[in-house]
Amino acid sequence: MNAPFHSPSPQPPATAVPALDIRHVSKAFVVDGKAVEVLADISLSVEAGSFVSIVGASGCGKSTLLRLILGLDLDYAGEISLDGRPVEGPGPERSIVFQEHRLLPWLTVEGNVGAALLHSGLDAAARRRSVAEHLELVGLEAFAKAYPAQLSGGMAQRVAIARALANRPRFLLLDEPLGALDALTRLRLQGELKRIVAHEGATAVLVTHDVDEAVFLGHRIVVLHPRPGRIAAVLEVPEEARADRSSPAFVALRDRVLELLGVSLGEGRAR
Amino acid sequence: MSLAETLDKPAFDQSTRAGTATASAARRRAGRRGPAGPTPLGTVLLGLSFPFALLVAWWWAARLGIVPEQILPAPATIYETVSSLIADGSLATHLEISTHRVLVGFGLGALFGLVFGAAAGLSPTVRAFLYPPVQAVARVNVLAWMPLLTLFMGIDEPLKYVVIGWSAAIPIILGTARGIENVSPAFRELGRVLHFNTRDTLRLVVLPGAVPSIFAGLREGLANAWQTLVLAELFASFEGLGYLMTWGRQLFQLDLVIIAMIVVALAGLAMDLGLRWLERRAQPWKRGTRDVH
Amino acid sequence: MSIEATAATTLPAQARAGTALRTVTRRIDWRPWTAFAALLALWFAAHHFGWVPAKYLPSPLAVVQRLIREVTAGTLLHDLHETLRRNLSGLVIGVAAGLALGALLGASSLVGRIVGPTVLAQRQTALFAWVPLLAMWFGGGDTGKITFIAVAAFQPVVIGTWRGISLVPATYRELSDVLLLNRWNYMRLVALPHALPMIFTGLHGALIYAWLATVGSELFLNISPGLGGRLNEGSQLFEIDLLFLVILLFGLIGLGFNTLAERAEGLLIRWNSR
Repeated sequence: MNAPFHSPSPQPPATAVPALDIRHVSKAFVVDGKAVEVLADISLSVEAGSFVSIVGASGCGKSTLLRLILGLDLDYAGEISLDGRPVEGPGPERSIVFQEHRLLPWLTVEGNVGAALLHSGLDAAARRRSVAEHLELVGLEAFAKAYPAQLSGGMAQRVAIARALANRPRFLLLDEPLGALDALTRLRLQGELKRIVAHEGATAVLVTHDVDEAVFLGHRIVVLHPRPGRIAAVLEVPEEARADRSSPAFVALRDRVLELLGVSLGEGRAR
Repeated sequence: MSLAETLDKPAFDQSTRAGTATASAARRRAGRRGPAGPTPLGTVLLGLSFPFALLVAWWWAARLGIVPEQILPAPATIYETVSSLIADGSLATHLEISTHRVLVGFGLGALFGLVFGAAAGLSPTVRAFLYPPVQAVARVNVLAWMPLLTLFMGIDEPLKYVVIGWSAAIPIILGTARGIENVSPAFRELGRVLHFNTRDTLRLVVLPGAVPSIFAGLREGLANAWQTLVLAELFASFEGLGYLMTWGRQLFQLDLVIIAMIVVALAGLAMDLGLRWLERRAQPWKRGTRDVH
Repeated sequence: MSIEATAATTLPAQARAGTALRTVTRRIDWRPWTAFAALLALWFAAHHFGWVPAKYLPSPLAVVQRLIREVTAGTLLHDLHETLRRNLSGLVIGVAAGLALGALLGASSLVGRIVGPTVLAQRQTALFAWVPLLAMWFGGGDTGKITFIAVAAFQPVVIGTWRGISLVPATYRELSDVLLLNRWNYMRLVALPHALPMIFTGLHGALIYAWLATVGSELFLNISPGLGGRLNEGSQLFEIDLLFLVILLFGLIGLGFNTLAERAEGLLIRWNSR
């Protein structure tokens, strides 16, 4: 089918049904015969088009939660539904960017992005156009024929982002996508990510342990405490904070989150 | 044959030199080393110096008549013998016969090994039932089977193809199975996320990932094939390079033996290099280095 | 923690109780043995039903009987002793030489670059190509056989030792520089322990190839007391039960060496990672 291309992906009309609804989700793993609870009674509603950042220390189950939303793991208590329909497995409307870029080393950049479109129902010409468009979106159209081994970490991760978006998913999941990159590249890519997700109009769920990143990117921040993973707080991110890293609103929110995570803010601070 | 190719990479990359007490001591000992280490030309010259020295010593020993001709023929004798063998075409004939045996045997073994290895790699059932017996048999060298097989099959070509093929097949089975089995779970998960069907997974995740291991198995199989060829020709043949060695021994002509040994080594090396070239061709993505930021 | 969580799936309570029993029985995986059992059954049937003429294939029972006869007469044990004696002699010589030269090549990069390429190039020579040459130089008797076995054992050991010692990572070498270790202490405290796994791999190879060379030397060189001699005897006198017996022994001993080496390597790896 030759679907006409327009910039943002179509959004369903605003209804009472949230785009992503997580209700009382709990999950336990069996390790050495004992049950280890990883997530305990997580409930969260996400509106269409919004960006949710999930922060927490290691071991709070945030990556596990993403896998459940993705549909890679169906063994849990509670319900996860998309637009009112329960998740029964992976689907084309959800995609993920992993922490490692996971680009297939034997495919070119455009081959990697194209791999996401194998079952999209598009014909070859349409696939090529989509690949070119998304490479342009991340600024790598000049490297279409390069192999992953020739790219830097930041570039490879951008290709991974392009790949995740190639199929125009309504839900973009991000599992510490910038964690493997150096600090400068990370800052640059955070800006890129915000721009790209806004452009595509996707609903995004970001998992990170970088609090600055969470505040900068999200409309809302979900703070998880570990062992078992449970929601400690859900905070709204004021627009002023989101727009400017140096704004007082940003600093205040960041400090609040760090406090919730139990990180001391230094001596001499009156708190 | 370039020395760079005889050195396995990356094991002997010049940057991994053994440690010394202090860096300055190392620099003193280095002598002619440039700031970045020894030059490529320097490496090649050093590597050639030892065999060259041996050659000179050999020539002198022969000249001075220290060692009888039968124990150590003079280099001149070897040169004459090689010339005459090449001139009357017999060297070429023996080489051709041996090479033909290796190629046929290796081809059969590779075919069997790739198919069986792929089956074992893809199916846990096949693996569970047949892997341990294959591994057990693999630990028993084909030499043990030779007397028995000669009894059944005589000493004709089929015997050679079977033993060469079998010795090649074993590492190929293991390499192929391991390569397919050990595909990165991260990529498998990626395939699930991108909704790959079985064909996509095989084509885009499993097979390309298995290529290095498969080729490692093929190279080991080829090395085994040469070893077994020599064995088979010493044991049961009236032509070929192995036979040339036996014949030389019987006639007390050590020059024939040495020539045959060298030709076997060179032929084996040539084929190994050919496989490596093929491996590089099969993996075009590995050619580039990190040259962009 | 990224998305590759260590996944053991959750189990309902009843299943968890059942797994205890199943774990015990499952530990003994019966599936590989089916192939062996099938092969044994096939052998028995082939002889019993005459699929292969009896003069080519002894019955399994006949082989066992021959084994008992030979053992009680003491002949087989004597031959086994001779063969193993040569094997061990060759092993010791080859391994010692390999360790020494490998250590030298690894410790001194200069020696490594001068002598090393020759050692590597020599690897291309098929092992058995040495037989005629060594036979001419050392004769076909005990000396020749042991020399051949030593050459076979030497090659994997020299490579493994060389690699092990020279491939100490740059991080450890820098550390030893910082700690001002002299060369002896560096070898003792850093290089040798790090090299052990690769040296063991070389020793593993030596065990296998030395046994191969032992069998080969007895088949290709002069006949003398030993398993190979019995093999020749069996094939010339057409006593196939003896022939089969010796072949099985060759194979089983080789298998034994291999398994021994693998177990030893496994133990070493476990010590290393502790």
